[in-house]
Amino acid sequence: MEEELRVRLNEHHQVSKVFPVKPKSTAKPVSESETPESRYWSSFKPHSIPNLVSSISALAFSPVHPHSLAVAHSASVSLFSSLSLSSSRRFSFRDVVSSVCFRSDGALFAACDLSGVVQVFDIKERMALRSLRSHTAPARFVKYPFQDKLHLVSGGDDGVVKYWDVAGSTVISDLLGHKDYVRCGDCSPVNDSMFITGSYDHTVKVWDARVDKSKWIAEINHGLPVEDVVYLPSGGMIATAGGNSVKVWDLIGGGKMVCSMESHNKTVTSLCVGRMDSAETRLVSVALDGYMKVFDYGRAKVTYSMRFPAPLMSLCLSPDGSTRVIGGSNGVVFAGKKKLRDAGEKKSLSLWSVRSEVDESRRRALRPTYFRYFQRGQSEKPSKEDYFVKQKKGLKLARHDKLLKKFRHKEALVSVLEEKKPANVVAVMEELVARRKLMKCVSNMEEGELGMLLGFLQRYCTVQRYSGLLMGLTKKVLETRAEDIKGKNEFKGLLRNLKREVNQEIRIQQSLLEIQGVIAPLMRIAGRS
Amino acid sequence: MIRGGRSYVTSPPSFSNDAKKLLVCTGNTVSVFSAATGLQVTSLEGHTAPVTTLIVVPASSPAQKILCYCWTASLDGTVRHWDFSGPELLKTIEAQHPIYSMVIPSLLSEPQQQIDKRRQLSDKLVAYVSVEDTSVVKEGSKELRGHIRRFNLAKPRIPRGDTLKETAEPESIVISPSGEFFGIRHKCKIHIWDVPSGGSRHAVSRKMTLHHSKFINVFAFHPTERIVVAGDVTGRVLIWRGVGNRKLALGNQKKKVRAMVDLDNAGVRGEDDAESCTTWHWHSAEVNVLNFSSDGAYLYSGGREGVLVVWQLDTGKKKFLPRIGSPLLYFMWSQDPTLSSVVCADNQIHLLKMPSMEILRTISGIKPPPSLPRMYEGLASTVAFDRSSGIAALCTENYCVQLYNLLNDRGISEIQVCERNHQPGDEITVVVTAVALSLDGSVMSTTEVKLPEDGIGGLVSLKFWMSEPDSKTFTLSTIVYEPHRDAGVSAIAFHPTRRMAVSTSFGGDFKIWVCNSEKNQTDKDSSWICHAVGSYKKKPMTAAAFSGDGSVLAVAAENVITLWNPDKNILLSVLGATLTPITKLCFAGKSEFLVAASHFPRPELSVWNASKLSLSWSYGLRIEAVTSAVDSSSFAVLALIPKSFKTDESKENIFRSRDGAILLFNGSDPKPVSIWTVMQAKGGSISFLEGDKTQVRLAYVNGNHEYVVFDPNSDESHERSAVDYDGLVGQEETGDAGYTSLYGQLPDYDKKRMEDAESLATPFVSSERPWETIFSGSTLNFPPLEKLCAEFFESLMEKRTAVVE
Repeated sequence: MEEELRVRLNEHHQVSKVFPVKPKSTAKPVSESETPESRYWSSFKPHSIPNLVSSISALAFSPVHPHSLAVAHSASVSLFSSLSLSSSRRFSFRDVVSSVCFRSDGALFAACDLSGVVQVFDIKERMALRSLRSHTAPARFVKYPFQDKLHLVSGGDDGVVKYWDVAGSTVISDLLGHKDYVRCGDCSPVNDSMFITGSYDHTVKVWDARVDKSKWIAEINHGLPVEDVVYLPSGGMIATAGGNSVKVWDLIGGGKMVCSMESHNKTVTSLCVGRMDSAETRLVSVALDGYMKVFDYGRAKVTYSMRFPAPLMSLCLSPDGSTRVIGGSNGVVFAGKKKLRDAGEKKSLSLWSVRSEVDESRRRALRPTYFRYFQRGQSEKPSKEDYFVKQKKGLKLARHDKLLKKFRHKEALVSVLEEKKPANVVAVMEELVARRKLMKCVSNMEEGELGMLLGFLQRYCTVQRYSGLLMGLTKKVLETRAEDIKGKNEFKGLLRNLKREVNQEIRIQQSLLEIQGVIAPLMRIAGRS
Repeated sequence: MIRGGRSYVTSPPSFSNDAKKLLVCTGNTVSVFSAATGLQVTSLEGHTAPVTTLIVVPASSPAQKILCYCWTASLDGTVRHWDFSGPELLKTIEAQHPIYSMVIPSLLSEPQQQIDKRRQLSDKLVAYVSVEDTSVVKEGSKELRGHIRRFNLAKPRIPRGDTLKETAEPESIVISPSGEFFGIRHKCKIHIWDVPSGGSRHAVSRKMTLHHSKFINVFAFHPTERIVVAGDVTGRVLIWRGVGNRKLALGNQKKKVRAMVDLDNAGVRGEDDAESCTTWHWHSAEVNVLNFSSDGAYLYSGGREGVLVVWQLDTGKKKFLPRIGSPLLYFMWSQDPTLSSVVCADNQIHLLKMPSMEILRTISGIKPPPSLPRMYEGLASTVAFDRSSGIAALCTENYCVQLYNLLNDRGISEIQVCERNHQPGDEITVVVTAVALSLDGSVMSTTEVKLPEDGIGGLVSLKFWMSEPDSKTFTLSTIVYEPHRDAGVSAIAFHPTRRMAVSTSFGGDFKIWVCNSEKNQTDKDSSWICHAVGSYKKKPMTAAAFSGDGSVLAVAAENVITLWNPDKNILLSVLGATLTPITKLCFAGKSEFLVAASHFPRPELSVWNASKLSLSWSYGLRIEAVTSAVDSSSFAVLALIPKSFKTDESKENIFRSRDGAILLFNGSDPKPVSIWTVMQAKGGSISFLEGDKTQVRLAYVNGNHEYVVFDPNSDESHERSAVDYDGLVGQEETGDAGYTSLYGQLPDYDKKRMEDAESLATPFVSSERPWETIFSGSTLNFPPLEKLCAEFFESLMEKRTAVVE
């Protein structure tokens, strides 16, 4: 009963209603353009660091605030502040730097170059603290274990993975097993002595520094030369990149493949784990095809994809999720910064303000006996117990709507022509057609107004969305107002332009027909088979 | 059997004295609506022909406002007196001739004051009626059939009565609010009589006439002054002041005064008896409504353009209620100064909040069918049915789709299909040509055509609407402009189980539309996209239907039927050719039979076997609508009865004015299971309603949007159909409606009182002892409270009753 009543009450709004003319709605894309996911990944404000020499081979963020950024390019490593992305310090090497890694406290970083030397720097000092020389071929990766401050893992083209004691500059163990160049490696986030390395022999090997038989404890075959490996945050799963595929493996489950992603077109060069607002993690990959892809390995689905104007070499996401940096092969770092909501800070603030809020509400409770009660203004917010009476929203009518309401058709058409919004003009014209008044308007127009109409027709009559109406109208206007248009100087230019537009449109139509003629037999053949 | 869709607007409605109820003439009955909710409360049933006049006995004092008596007059030749709170019939008076209009001046001039006084007066309760003298009706004769007569309602049977005036057609009588004058309009003239005072039976009414140069449509008397206003067909409102000062008031000195006619009677024609005549001209078309406010300061006028105008009588200043959207027919004010009602031709009664003239609520009957341009006649499908809930979606004149519940005869809501105001009387430029509902009633599809001006600006659009989950209304989901380029849409059909629809066009292709909400599960952001396009030899596609399980789509390409797989869009097979283009297609339930109907130039109903790809049988019948049951293989068609068949002498009796028949077939059997003949089948439509599985009902909506819902399998209706089915209009109600259907018949505890002619206005007194019976029986059957109280108190004070007796 109540429902019925409501319907009936609503009805009276319907009876006497003014409908403003509305342009035809345009098509919406079928797929949703915005998902929360894509909104997150596209919200990084682009900010690129140009003019670094040669390709960016490696990137690393300091694990401690303020997360300064180390960029390895050519024979040097540059440190950038992650807040302003301005260069702060630069370290030089003898050869091209291939990998860089911060220690867990962010005070030191290690880098290796193609001469095979692994060097350890204090971020505040120019000179290297240690130079670790043992690799006989170019070193390709160096990594500090997750929390361990004393050791390093490195690998190189000699196929040997070395476990270093940094303080003494000595190799603790040479881990042999890879049959080809070792290109990448990562250390376990849960255990300081576990690490993985990937090699061009298609395998990823899992090592444990505590087992000192120089024998790997597990092996995974990626099937293609491995370019990058990364531990997923649980420590039980790893992701490997090789060729144009990215694969996720379950280490604890015996090295089973969980899922694979093959949406890159060229070799995937770098992998990184990204943490979103909702604390979900995603696997982010970049490839030589210039695409960054975000892979939701839980659902085995690519959720976001972004194109960059260069082949991409390296990738890193800052631990706080505010900065995303991608290194291109042309020496540009494509950085993206996000305004970070200071959740922690806010929380502490609200803790502080609890007391004052209570005070506030007590102070705010206005009673009709208070003087301030009568001073409430327009911006006064309703309190909880107030009964809110919604004001009837008036219908906003544009100028042409008001004129149409008064049946001043020609003036409505002229006023909407002055507004220079083609969709509205066409909507008014359609309304006039429905009222059978369009031709009357055209015949009543004065010279200046006619010029305006012709200008509009000239500009929009070949636009596909409006051409259905405007083509016919143009013809009618030229027919009915031939005497007024003929020989007038001000219309000459307009008519010439109109003619040109029409000729161009005819040419387009012809070429489209030609294309159709070519395609039609092909389609037929395709349909038959 | 449920019958409904009666017109609410055949004669003016009337408010009860407390303005809480509105009495509306609905065919043979009078329906009583509550003004507060707009819902039907009860109905007065008894007349056997349409009720034409309804007079609520006015109350003279506030205490009497609860009195609920009314007089009705009907074409069945009876005048009846009712207590509509009961509702009960108090008295019936035979008048022999069909009554078109009736006024009772004494009710207005001498309002009932006390019961005993009334009883003295009751022998001169005089009514003036407009009757049709059926005795003189002959084909082509120019006899004056309409008579204005004087009757005494105190007598149970009325003799012939004195005839005051004879006209060619029965006219309606208008009475002044004071009860002093009444009159009729006749072509360009208004005849006015005064009511003889004193009450002597033989006093002769005096008559005067006002002239005008145009046909007068309507006129009204001022409540206190001698002012008559009239509206004519051109839209002018004429105001005569000082009407009848000489003829009616001075009476015997008539001749003297006529000699004194002077020239300053501005605007008065000839020798009309009026001081002055002024004209207001605002209405652009005919004036249908004229009514003074109760104090006479304002005049309400309205007409075909659907604008209610309030004139300040002294200054001529105007106020408007625009965009009502339909020609106005009547305007009634109530005793409550804040409430009045305006009645529109589209079967809507709007209740207005008074000084501000806001529409408070609407009592909405089923709207009449839209008038379509000639080119769309027979092609448009303007009625669709929701089979489960018994709701019909009907296209209306004002670019809306009205949802109407057929089972309880009530309008649910209206959906604005095109965002336009309808201006009655304007040239039709936008037409809603088709409406279709999916089988579960959750999706609606409409097509509209904007007709071009001088060949430019035409537009066809197809719209898909999703139903709101809570209330029964629809919201727009998708608009498709020019779905088949500039060709018109000929038919829309929905898939029986999935969100899929097909639209066919005269341009030679059909499109299958699917809803993409199936994956993200939310109706709100669902949209419909084209799934496939198909065509067959570039022939115009004229009709489409999905098979019962939805696996086959049949599309009629002019005179062949093409069968498609709707998912893969593959042509499965082609069914042979009919002689003429097919206009309707329907699968007979889940069987393999396919029903096709075509009507131009040679009508044909053919049934095809889709599995054998052959014609089973065919009839040369013109089919208006086809429907099939979902579960069984039976189907029903609405056929127009061929003219040649009707002119046959022996059959004329059977058909009389009925022009159509509903034929129920069962699968392949060419012999119909049963036949019902119906009236006004042209433009009608039928559908099976399958709300509950146990009962399958057939709904038939005729060309005037009156409808009947019945069980095609019950014996009771078989009987009727076989012998003499009384058509739609003349048929007596077989099922209970409204109040009685809910609460059952009221006990006839006061039958006796009715027979007592003298107790006409004495409901409080009774010769019997009602209190002995009133509390027996179910509490649901108790009479209304005010009556009950009176009775009950009477029972406590038995002495009082005795005195009156």
